[in-house]
Amino acid sequence: MTLKVDVRNLSKAYGPLQAVANVSFEVAAGEVFGLLGPNGAGKTTTLESLLGLIEPDAGEIEICAIDARRHPAAAKAKIGAILQSTGLQDKITPREAMYLFAGLYGCRGDSTALLTRFGLASTADAAFDTLSGGQKQRLALAVAFVNDPEVIILDEPTASLDPQMRRKLHDHIRRMRAEGRTVLLSTHDMEEAEQLCDRVAVLARGRIVAQGRPAEMIARARSTTMVSVQTSAPLAAAPSLIHAEGIVLDEAGIHFTTTHFNAVLAELLAILDEQSIAITALRSERDTLEDVVLELTTRRDT
Amino acid sequence: MSALLRHAAASLTLNFRNRMALIYGYLFPLMFLLAFWAVYRHDRTPLAQHMGAILTITALGSACFGLPTTLVSERERGVWRRYRLTPTPTWVFLVSILAVRYLLLLTAALIQLGLALALGMSFPAHPLGLLVAFTFTAIAFMGLGLVIAMVADNVPAVQALGQCIFLPMLMIGGVAVQLSSLPNWAQHVSALFPGRYAVQALQAAVSGRGLGAVQFELLALLLIGVAGLVAAMKMFRWEPGRLTSRNNQSWILLALTTWLAVGLLAEWQGRIITQPSAAQGEMVTQVGPAADYRTPMSRTPASWHDVTQADIANVAFERLPPDNGVIAPIAALSEEPDPAAVGQLDIVRSGLANWTPAKVTDPVQRSRNLLYVAAVPDLLQMGDIERFLPAIVLGRLRQSIPPADLPKVLYWVALHPQDGDDAALGELKTLGLPGVSGPTRRDARGRVMLYAFKLLARTSGGKTSE
Repeated sequence: MTLKVDVRNLSKAYGPLQAVANVSFEVAAGEVFGLLGPNGAGKTTTLESLLGLIEPDAGEIEICAIDARRHPAAAKAKIGAILQSTGLQDKITPREAMYLFAGLYGCRGDSTALLTRFGLASTADAAFDTLSGGQKQRLALAVAFVNDPEVIILDEPTASLDPQMRRKLHDHIRRMRAEGRTVLLSTHDMEEAEQLCDRVAVLARGRIVAQGRPAEMIARARSTTMVSVQTSAPLAAAPSLIHAEGIVLDEAGIHFTTTHFNAVLAELLAILDEQSIAITALRSERDTLEDVVLELTTRRDT
Repeated sequence: MSALLRHAAASLTLNFRNRMALIYGYLFPLMFLLAFWAVYRHDRTPLAQHMGAILTITALGSACFGLPTTLVSERERGVWRRYRLTPTPTWVFLVSILAVRYLLLLTAALIQLGLALALGMSFPAHPLGLLVAFTFTAIAFMGLGLVIAMVADNVPAVQALGQCIFLPMLMIGGVAVQLSSLPNWAQHVSALFPGRYAVQALQAAVSGRGLGAVQFELLALLLIGVAGLVAAMKMFRWEPGRLTSRNNQSWILLALTTWLAVGLLAEWQGRIITQPSAAQGEMVTQVGPAADYRTPMSRTPASWHDVTQADIANVAFERLPPDNGVIAPIAALSEEPDPAAVGQLDIVRSGLANWTPAKVTDPVQRSRNLLYVAAVPDLLQMGDIERFLPAIVLGRLRQSIPPADLPKVLYWVALHPQDGDDAALGELKTLGLPGVSGPTRRDARGRVMLYAFKLLARTSGGKTSE
């Protein structure tokens, strides 16, 4: 596994506020990695340290095996980044912006192809201040691609987008992964992370509180599944299920919560079998990543 | 290299797309030139004598407003933050900013010079020297502008800071108001601003003796500029928001210390007070003692009766300020007053026939009183009439003093400017003219002296400066 991003014990304090404390994570080549957490958790500080915008107090950062703190320019050449807080001059056109940034990255990319890829071919010569929000976002993406980056860093890329634009951006990010690029993004939208990310790290108060594949994290978290089972005939009495809690029996069927879905199902099937009752419908509601993150990030608060 | 060129090209393109930048960078300097030309049109003062100040104001506006405004507004909208994500080092951006600004300054100055030449200005005496002086001026002001850009948190702060530097430099910094017209304290203050050094260096190249005479001024500009550039580079801010960090404050201190040091160096070298030199003729704005206009060897007559042709011949008429200058001007015979001023001149002419101070028995005091009629309007820069009054005064003098006595009397008045009384000042109002009071009365005596000399030249057949 080739590591494209390797962060070790990163720390940064602003006065008394410890924005990032001892954060470590790795992103492998071709992975989409998400930094999750509420506002103020330290996501942006972490990303900006990687990008050389912030000088961290301690820690090591390697981008494509380059020590980014000692050789920032070499590391920057490997990265394409989209931040919320950057902008372009009002009167610059997309074509001029591509030409300028190609120069600043010291490369001669095919800017026309990039403008086409990001749907800007028809507005290539319009002034920046006449572009729509979505076009500005896509121009930021096109500019970020001007150096054909191996690593793409996106800080809350969908925060200000409408659902349609958000879906399009997700398509762009999937295409980046398909091209073998490594993507590191931050978001507080858990659904987005669940859909896009191969792995996530959950940040709370500057620390990583959990790390892993979204599905695994959900499974690993001590979260419960709510189960409703409809039966062909009503049960005489509430069955004793070792792995279930809060069992309720009514005319529609049996309801309970569980942390061991498979086990409880096996138990239930055995009991129903004895009584020759069939299951006519089964509905389960699992926790989402959002619930997991909420639980993780609030658990530390107390 | 491609990073530098592409950034510079983009900056230039964007500057020419920005209407406000064009107005401030190009239109404003031209309007300033036209204003200067219009104000001094009647004084027949060649535009060349103000070109140093005009070019300085152009550089000042572009460097102290244009440069930091562009930089700070780009920083506020996150453009510089985006630049910082690229591998291009800081110095490339700084060099690009400076090169572009220098180009903008230079083109604005060239257009300004072109218009001045079209308005009749004589060609600069030292064109290459002018380029060098302008470059040094640009360096000094760009250093200042960059420091403003680093200190100002937002565009309104740039405007405020810029004005704090712009206005004092214009008024008491030896830019819009000539150094020699300023009181001594203001001349000491002006030593701390680059404005005066810029004006002197540029003026030396336009109408003076060239850069050899202004080496100190060039050095001062360079020191001021480099200190500003170094401080700005060390304080360079990519991020919008407030200026923080003690480190930055110490770099500001470095820039301020250097500027102070330049002022102290100028003090130490005794370069602060600009004494007007009568020998420079055109540049005179202050009046020296009567002895300035007489060869030192000449004898001193006992009374006006005793004045001889030889005494008059010893007057250095060529040292007098020129008739078409600001000080003690006299209209050429061919010159017609403005129609609006004719009525006022007629009031003076007819009023003089019955003017009490023109009837005192002592011919010396009588002449002195009459000369005040020309001297005070000159002192008050009454542009429409001041040049035409000397002829009226001379006509009255010729009627009231015998031709043989008039040169002797005028010589006596000229050489004794502090004698006699100036009660006539209080009677000027009967001629429809304003009077002067307080310390200005002494200045009025100086002008009486100059006009006495000038009319002496016309009555004695002595050389005039025409």
